[in-house]
Amino acid sequence: MDMRHTETKRGSIMNRPITAIVLRAIVALGLLGAAGGCATSTPDCSLAATRNLDSAIDSAKSNLQAGCVAYFDGYMDQLLEVAAGDPQPENKRAFSDFLIWSSDQGLLSKRQAQETWNRFFNVKFVSLQGDYNNCAQTCPVRDDVLDNMERELADKERGMLKASLDQNGYYRADRLLQETELVLAATCRACAAGGR
Amino acid sequence: MASEFGSTRLFAIALLVVATPLLTGAARGPALQLFPTTVLEDIKETGQVAEDMETGLQEVISRLDRQQQLYVESKCDGAVEDPGCARIAKQLGASYMEMLDVMGQRLPDMERAVNSTRTSLEKRLRSELGLKMTPWALQETLLGNQPDGSEPAQPKLRGRSGLRLSERFRQYYSLVAQSGSKADHSLAVVASDIYLDMEEASVLIAQTQEEIGRATLLEELNQSFGVITPEMQQVVNGVKSILFGESGQVIELAGPPPGSGQIEYESPLEW
Repeated sequence: MDMRHTETKRGSIMNRPITAIVLRAIVALGLLGAAGGCATSTPDCSLAATRNLDSAIDSAKSNLQAGCVAYFDGYMDQLLEVAAGDPQPENKRAFSDFLIWSSDQGLLSKRQAQETWNRFFNVKFVSLQGDYNNCAQTCPVRDDVLDNMERELADKERGMLKASLDQNGYYRADRLLQETELVLAATCRACAAGGR
Repeated sequence: MASEFGSTRLFAIALLVVATPLLTGAARGPALQLFPTTVLEDIKETGQVAEDMETGLQEVISRLDRQQQLYVESKCDGAVEDPGCARIAKQLGASYMEMLDVMGQRLPDMERAVNSTRTSLEKRLRSELGLKMTPWALQETLLGNQPDGSEPAQPKLRGRSGLRLSERFRQYYSLVAQSGSKADHSLAVVASDIYLDMEEASVLIAQTQEEIGRATLLEELNQSFGVITPEMQQVVNGVKSILFGESGQVIELAGPPPGSGQIEYESPLEW
């Protein structure tokens, strides 16, 4: 008798619509969350208001660890601004350490960290790379490549010149862009002539 | 008239272009084969043509300058009826025609040398920079092994250098001859510069020949160059600046400021 009763009760539960069960579970979880305080609240992702680069980087690290990964590009932008307020060659190392830390934390892939570093602080252009030859890869999109290099040069100006006082590096990058423009103009014309 | 002057200028530019390859002819290294020895003879011949043209034009251009000065000092501008001014104007026109004639005589040799060298460079650029290199290899080549803060040893490009054309060739030749594989970055830029100049020169030579023919016909018909026009003066100035480096405008690539001598920080992330 008891068994039948039990079976009947279990059967009645099993026969309830699944959607109703799910809805009840959601409501229950919501109540639990409310009772538990801020477990699901959005973190404050704004950087600490400081003119000190090390402090700003510490603030960025703290926020990133708290879940503000989506703000990474914005943090880079703000850190460059802070660095420009007190430009010095040592700032390069601070940014490098920050990017390596970001990679070690899994916030960026190693490739992303390298590209970010080289875009802002290296003479070479991230915008000019690829696995195929120039006739096949670069020439068909030469204008786009040069436009991207122009934009990258502006980033190098921020990273190398304004944040790190690396005038030599920046002007080498500037010259490299001009020479690339000239060499690609000639090379791509020669490539096209070969296809005629 | 303006088109005649334009053609003259084109010719002068074409001459400049032709001379440039002389410099690059010596460029050869184990890594980049942009300047094979087969191009050297064309380059030398082109340089000689440039020098001959300088010599031939220097005298006539000096005479043009003197006549122009006399014309201005005599206040002939607008004094068409004055017999003395008419005589000076006629002499100006004759000198201008002589300048076109000198250029016209040199043009066929120039055209042949330009086209030959252009074709050779075109093949080399396509092969060495276009087909054998990735974009990354290209920028590494352009950067070379140049240490931070040092000025690359290369001539000013894509602009007037302020030098005589023949002197510019000599400097190019010197650069190429003294450079080994370490100067690949310079050679790539120089080769590109010369090739583009030659492309332009080829077109300019053709246009110049056409314009010289037209100007000669007009001169034969009615001495139409009785007065030197601003356009004519512009052409003469253009030829002077290209051949003899008398232009005040020098186009240079950006150069780095003096180096600090400090060792730069190198990140582990750097490529």
